[in-house]
This record gives sequence, C-alpha cells and structure tokens, in this order.
Amino acid sequence: MKDRKYLIAPSILAILLVAALVWGYNQYQTKKQREIALENYYQSLFFDIKKHIENIQVNLSKVMVANTKERNILLLSQISNEAISAHTKLGQMPLTHAEIANTEKFLNQAADYSTYLIQKHLQGEELTEEQRQALSNIQNNSVKFNEELTNIQNSLAEGNFFLGSLTASARNRVKEANENILQTSLVQLDEQFAKTPELIYDGPFADQMINRKPVGLPENEVTAEEARKIAAEFLGNVNIINIEQFEEGEHINEARIPAYTFNVYVDKQRNSPIYMGVSKKGGKVVWMNNPRPVGTTKLSVKNAEERALKFLQEKGFENMEPNYYLKYDGTILFNFVNTENKVTIYPDLVKVKVALDTGEIVGFDASAYYLNHHDRKIDEPHLTEAEARSKVRQDFNIDSIRLAIIPKGKNEVLCYEFKGKYNGSDFIVYINALDGSEEEILQLIKNENGTLTF
Amino acid sequence: MLFLSVLLFYEPKSIKKTAERYESMFAPRTLYWGVQGEDVRILQDKLLRWGYYDGAVDGIFGARTYRAVRKFQAKNGLQVDGIVGPATARALGMPEAYATAANSTVNRQTDEYLLARLIHGEARGEPYVGKVAVAAVVLNRVKHPSFPNTIAGVIYQPLAFTAVADGQINLTPNKDSIKAARDALNGWDPTYGCLYYWNPATATSKWIWSRKVMLKIGKHWFGI
Repeated sequence: MKDRKYLIAPSILAILLVAALVWGYNQYQTKKQREIALENYYQSLFFDIKKHIENIQVNLSKVMVANTKERNILLLSQISNEAISAHTKLGQMPLTHAEIANTEKFLNQAADYSTYLIQKHLQGEELTEEQRQALSNIQNNSVKFNEELTNIQNSLAEGNFFLGSLTASARNRVKEANENILQTSLVQLDEQFAKTPELIYDGPFADQMINRKPVGLPENEVTAEEARKIAAEFLGNVNIINIEQFEEGEHINEARIPAYTFNVYVDKQRNSPIYMGVSKKGGKVVWMNNPRPVGTTKLSVKNAEERALKFLQEKGFENMEPNYYLKYDGTILFNFVNTENKVTIYPDLVKVKVALDTGEIVGFDASAYYLNHHDRKIDEPHLTEAEARSKVRQDFNIDSIRLAIIPKGKNEVLCYEFKGKYNGSDFIVYINALDGSEEEILQLIKNENGTLTF
Repeated sequence: MLFLSVLLFYEPKSIKKTAERYESMFAPRTLYWGVQGEDVRILQDKLLRWGYYDGAVDGIFGARTYRAVRKFQAKNGLQVDGIVGPATARALGMPEAYATAANSTVNRQTDEYLLARLIHGEARGEPYVGKVAVAAVVLNRVKHPSFPNTIAGVIYQPLAFTAVADGQINLTPNKDSIKAARDALNGWDPTYGCLYYWNPATATSKWIWSRKVMLKIGKHWFGI
C-alpha cells in the first residue's frame, strides 16, 4: 500500500508531461502548416507578378510595332489588365507601403495610361510622338522591374530565403541570414521609378488629377481670427461657449483646400462639439458637421428639403437644385447642384444634411463646389434633343431629358441627360451635346432610404 | 496508447466560430430558433401584422416565432421547417438584403461595415471627427495611384494598419463607428486629402515623420 501511494505524484506528473508534449507538438505542427500555407501563397503571388510584368513588357514592344489602331486597342487593354493584376498582387505581398509606393504608382498609372490611349484611339486619333515616348519609358521601367524579379527568383531557387519569413515576427530571425533580398532589391527599384518623368494625360490616377487645387475660392487670405468669426456667423443664432482651433502642421498650405479647422462648443450640446473647416483663401466655410444624436423623425422629406434650400439661400448659394437624397441615422443628406441657364452643373455640388427631428442643419459640405466652381462659358449644343435621342437605345423608356455639364477627368462636357428605365432598372445616359458620343451611363439604385448612383 | 488517443481527439482550434461570424457579417442571415437582431424584429412585425404571431416584437427568435414561421410556411406552400431562408424571406417580402433581383444586390453595406470595423479598431477612443478622418484616409488612398484601388485592398495591405495586424479589426464596431463610416462614404473629408496618419506617442517608423504634416485631429497627426 505504502509503495503505491508513493507512485501517485510521479504518475500524475508523467501524465501531465505527456499531455504537455502532445499539446506542444500540436502547436508546432499547426504553426508549421500555417507557415507553409502562407509561404505558398506568397510564392504564387510572386510568380504571378513576374508573369504579369513579362506580359506588359512583351505587349508594349508589340504596340511599338503595331500599325493599326484596332491591334493597339487590343494590346493596350491587355496591358491595362496585366498592370492592374500585378498592382493588386503586389499590394498583398508582405512589404510596407514605403518600400513599394512608387512601384504601385507605376503599375497603376501604366494601366490608367493604357485606358487613356484606348479612348484616344476610339476617338480616331493616332499615337503622338510624346505618347510613344511615354510608352517607351513605361517599357524601360517594366524591363528593369523584370530584371529585379529575375534576381529575386534566382535567390528563391537557391532556397536560402523565404517570402513568408518577411512578416513582422520572423523578420529579426532572418535578418542575419540574408539581408532581405526581396526588400532591398525592390526598394532600389522603387527609387528608380521615382525618377521617371511624370506621365501627362487625363485619367483618374494622373498626377495632375491628384494635385488639383480649388478654383472656386476668392483670392483674399483670411487670418485665424477672421476665420473664427466666419465660423461663428455661419452657425447663426446659437449661444457659442468656446471655439477651439485644431493644431496645424507646417505643410497645411499644401492640403487640397488649405483651411482652419475648429471645434465649436455651443450651449445646447456642451459635450459634443460642432466641427467646421474654413478655407484660408477666401474665408469660406468648406464643411460643417454636427454629429449630435438625432431623436424621433418628425419631418417629411419635403419639409427637410425646404429647410435645406432656405439654408443654402441664406449662405449665398443661388439657383441650387436638389438631386438625390439619402436617409441615414435619423438625418437626411441632400445633394444640391448648381444650375445656369437651365443647364444642370454637376461638378458644383453642395451637400446639406438635415436632422429629421428638429429640422436643424447638421451637416454641410461644399468642398466639391469650391474645387470646381468657376465662371463657365456654356456652349450652345450642336445636336438637337431629337438627334441626341437617336443615339440612345430605342427601347430605353425615357422619363426626362435635360442639358447637364458632367465632369470628365480634369475637364467638363456638356451633355443631354436621359433619365429612364431599361429592363426594370433605372439609368441615366449622357450623350455629348457637341459631338454625340455616349459619355457616361449611371445606374440608380433606389430603396426606401434614397438613391445611390453607380 | 494514451499519447495516440489524445492525438486523435485533439483538435487544435475550431475555425467554425469565425466562419459563423463572417457569414452573419456579409451574407443575408438565415433566421432560426435562437437568433436575435433587428432582422428578427422585422420578421416578427410582419408575422404579427398578418396574424400568424401573437407574441412580443422583441427581436428574439423563440418558440412563438418558430410556430408562427411554420404556420406561415404551411399556408404559403413552402417547406415547413421553421427556418427563414431565402425562399421564405422572399415570400415574406423581407427587406433588401434578402432580395435576389439583379440590381438590388448592389449596395454599399459591405464597404460601410468593413470601414466601420477599421475605425473601431484604429480610433475607437478618438473624438467623432477623428473617426471620420481615419475612414477618409482610407478613401483617399483608394483614389491615389500609390495604393491599392479598393477599400479592402487598402485596409488589408500588409503592415498598413496596426488594428489589422493585431486582429482588433475583427471586433464588433459600435454605433459611432458605423455612423462615421457613413459620413466618410458620403463625402466628408476633415483631412483635406491626407493619405497618412500616425500617433506621435506610439509611431515607431522614422519614415512616417518624413511626411508632410497637415493637421492634428484628436491624438493623430495627418499628412501626405
């Protein structure tokens, strides 16, 4: 009996030890499986990227040889596809943004530029000498890119490093073994891309588009003190307790719309401030937002719209026309656009948010308006309404027709706007009023809360 | 022997739970006994008005709701199982998420929810404007050539956001985060086009300090 008692403690310990070993072994196996799965995923991304870059390189040389627009359009659309795929996959590799920012930009703009050239071809234009030069720059870059990728591939083949080991936790372990071949060579490449000349074209990712500055603000500069007064005045008849300015950085003047930003504390809502931005140039309220909780809905859409229109008139926005609305979180957000001589000007957009409990204006955003608004010389349409109608599908059921100016890249175009239904869904079709081309098609998604355009 | 049997029955970690959670986030839910939520409330309300249900509209799928659904299914020639799947939901006329018509499946809800989760993970202690600002940075990145071109691509770009790296993005967002995501998607950008933000107290990367600094919102500096 005595002997057996003596055995209890060691046997429990032995069982615990076995259990711990089993648990540990399982953990180790799971970790290993996951590492392998991750490594496999990164490897497939890597080889895919290499293939995409090769295809871009080859297709670009074909564009240089090709002699017809039709052939070019096919090749350019393939280049665009390959560049987008490479860009998407590169964004999933375990690399920091700082290491690949310019590489991503190169791929994105290569795709964007190809699309731009396709549009030029479709309008019947040939490639210009500058455009051929730009394409050859893109090709040089893709050759360099491919060379670096081949280097990395060779290192991978020698089996002395793993892509997966670049993730944060494993980084330190690997450091002494190899100096992160993937990173060093891609960083060098990224620096080279940064040096290539800017692509001049019109597309959503063009540098000129990103660095756009507002054209709708008056020229005079206002001080922070003046801006405070403007902010207080804008809120009208409320009891202001305190206005606090946000801390500024030294480069605030390089923001898209350089502005003073304020927290405005008012009497009736002491804990949640109203936020406002007042432009430094011209001293205009660019946006205002009051995120106070909203009570039970008491206003109809019609009532809210009247309030919003009255508010816009008080703030000096004349001829504004309500377009769409969206109800959310007890508020309703209206999109108002400017009209001139019965032409709807979509780029001059002002958003107004009305609280549906008291009808108070709880949001205002005129940043689009101030970015785009300028004195326009609106052309007389070259096409009649009937001529434009003949460019739209005959079985498209039209509810309304009007003239509108819509944005097209950096520019604006005058169009006939056809609103209607096709196959039970709502669409807007825009036909260029000067040359009759089909500029844009929007689908409207309507539900009980409002309308979204896609 | 013991070793083997433990090995056989030991399953490292159940991934079922996560799968269930993701399903409830992104797919229209199937409603059955035990689930709770706004959609259950809508279901009860409909059944109540049509006289199938006589309990409280409390958003909890219990015995009474179950019986009411079965009654409804029997009356309408559906499979009588007490579960509200796509067919029953359609017969009930449940709101948009259930509709399968070609054009009503296009909506902004997935973007909204993903953005709200990022806000919650990154900036839940920030003032409201700071939450919107974080979402605005994501949307500015989507439009910028040096970043991925989709909201998910930007958010899940490796090493871009700490809340994604440490899994905080998977917390359930609160009301404020969802509201902030909506305000950002509707165009409010309190950062005037910024692409980066960092917390001066915790930012470790030297590179981030080489950015052009614009303004400070809450605890974060914003820049390009």
